[in-house]
Amino acid sequence: MLTIYKRFWQWNWAQQWQYRANLLMYLAYWIVSPVVYLAIWTTIANAQGSVNGMTAGDFAAYYLTLLPVDIVTSAITIHILAYRIQDGTVSNDLLQPVHPILTNVLVNNVAFKALQLIVFVPVWIGLVLLFKPVFTFTPASFLLALPAVVMGFLLNFLFDSMITLVAFWTTRVWAIHQFYFAVGTLMNGAFVPLTLMPGWAQNIAQFLPYQLWMYFPVQLLLNKLPPEKIALNFGLQIVYLALAFFVFNRMWRAAVKRFSAVGA
Amino acid sequence: MSTPNQKPIVVEGLTKTYQVTDREGGFSASVKGFFKRKFKDVKAVQEVSFSIGQGEIVGFLGPNGAGKTTTLKMLSGLLHPTSGKASVLGHTPWQRESSYLSQMTLVMGQRNRLNWDIPAADSFLLNQAIYRISDADYKRTFDELNELLELQTIIRKPVRNLSLGERMKCELAASLLHRPQVLFLDEPTIGLDIGAQQRIRAFLREYNKRNGATIILTSHYMADVTALCERIIIIHHGKLKYDGAINDLSRRIAPYKIIGVSLHDGSLANGLAEFGTLMPSDVEGKTLLQVPSAQVPEITAKLLDKFDVQDLTIEDPPIEDVIERAFNE
Repeated sequence: MLTIYKRFWQWNWAQQWQYRANLLMYLAYWIVSPVVYLAIWTTIANAQGSVNGMTAGDFAAYYLTLLPVDIVTSAITIHILAYRIQDGTVSNDLLQPVHPILTNVLVNNVAFKALQLIVFVPVWIGLVLLFKPVFTFTPASFLLALPAVVMGFLLNFLFDSMITLVAFWTTRVWAIHQFYFAVGTLMNGAFVPLTLMPGWAQNIAQFLPYQLWMYFPVQLLLNKLPPEKIALNFGLQIVYLALAFFVFNRMWRAAVKRFSAVGA
Repeated sequence: MSTPNQKPIVVEGLTKTYQVTDREGGFSASVKGFFKRKFKDVKAVQEVSFSIGQGEIVGFLGPNGAGKTTTLKMLSGLLHPTSGKASVLGHTPWQRESSYLSQMTLVMGQRNRLNWDIPAADSFLLNQAIYRISDADYKRTFDELNELLELQTIIRKPVRNLSLGERMKCELAASLLHRPQVLFLDEPTIGLDIGAQQRIRAFLREYNKRNGATIILTSHYMADVTALCERIIIIHHGKLKYDGAINDLSRRIAPYKIIGVSLHDGSLANGLAEFGTLMPSDVEGKTLLQVPSAQVPEITAKLLDKFDVQDLTIEDPPIEDVIERAFNE
């Protein structure tokens, strides 16, 4: 299996480098929203002194930590697979004796974000110099955040894949995904740090999976979580991962059985 | 797993019914359809049964929408049937076991399996890993495919830069690196020029001869069928209409020959109508007669006796006409 993943990596890595303008545009698309939120919140914090105890430097630290975490935990399965299901070309993947999502699509996700990170680093340094964040990282917070980020990515990947698989039933799934993504943007701490939301919203967000691949790793890196919250969120990640993997497998089997190979 | 005496492909009562939306055209129909959807059943394949022996190359023919591709997709594991059974190399295809998928291939003409943006050679290496082919086996198979398909000059170019014929050669090579024992070929020569078609046919003949692979081929080019297949299966409206040798089909459906007559003085022979049915001819100075097969010796003798014949040809009816008649029966 290791050789299979290695060859998928080489294949996808080679493909990612083909379209330079496309890559740069994707990077711009990825960072524009958090940078806009960052600019808005730092402006408000500068005007008021702080917002709910968060200074402009805190907001800068939050969003400039969120940016790389977002890139690392993001999933693009919908972009890889949705059209292939719609036009039937996913047939090519189904003819091979490997699980197409757990091999090629997974590796495609990783190759895309690896290349994005390489291009992102100088951009991030520039943003740090511009916004002057007050980072509160520690070696321990990095060590703790590593498994959180990996599990966060796997969670996001599985959820994104399950949404994409709905295309086997509905053919078009973009609107469903946009709704899922919009809810996620609100509930994962990207639009606004969760601590600034009303208490009832925070309680809902705590137990939804979205914050487990964004807000939780960010706050972990910034050393902002008490031990009981760290334990709770790691526990939630493990439970959600097990549940997501189970549901994903059942959905995949049902989807393949339902597949009608239209247009192919 | 198949036993030595078991045929590699056995199909019994295979049926596939699709449920599709049924809607008239126009704006008001679109609006009505949003609130109340109507569906209808389309019986793409109905109770099809056949078996294919080791190393056979079988032509699977039918007009557009007959059910050929649907059948191949069921046999390659892409589709679940509505009912019926099939066994390919001892496996039920739609259970999609890795051991089954590693032994068969489905090649669909003009469909791309290779990565569009990078050279085919990279996709070949990926397939080597996916199908767990050792380096020695990979080299041996690639060398053989290279010899048959002349790949060396084209596998280093991005696939998007290849011509259709070059791409088809690479697609075939990628599909055969794992030496599948069963090949499902869905119009593999569609869109190719005549030279490329001939090369693909020669390659398939040689591959079958060297590897003993069992091949089901669909094609609308009769040249593919006559060059490769001794046996054909005809399907129409989802139902099996004929399963047997091409020659037997000709004898059954079109039991006649075409006699071509050219006279020494180049004029068209008059009075030929009494010997058979006159047919249109593209060749100047040549008259074509359709004659019952049993009467050919007698009529040929009479023609030679009555006319100053320079050239006389006796041919089977064009296979396209035979197949067309079989579709319409």
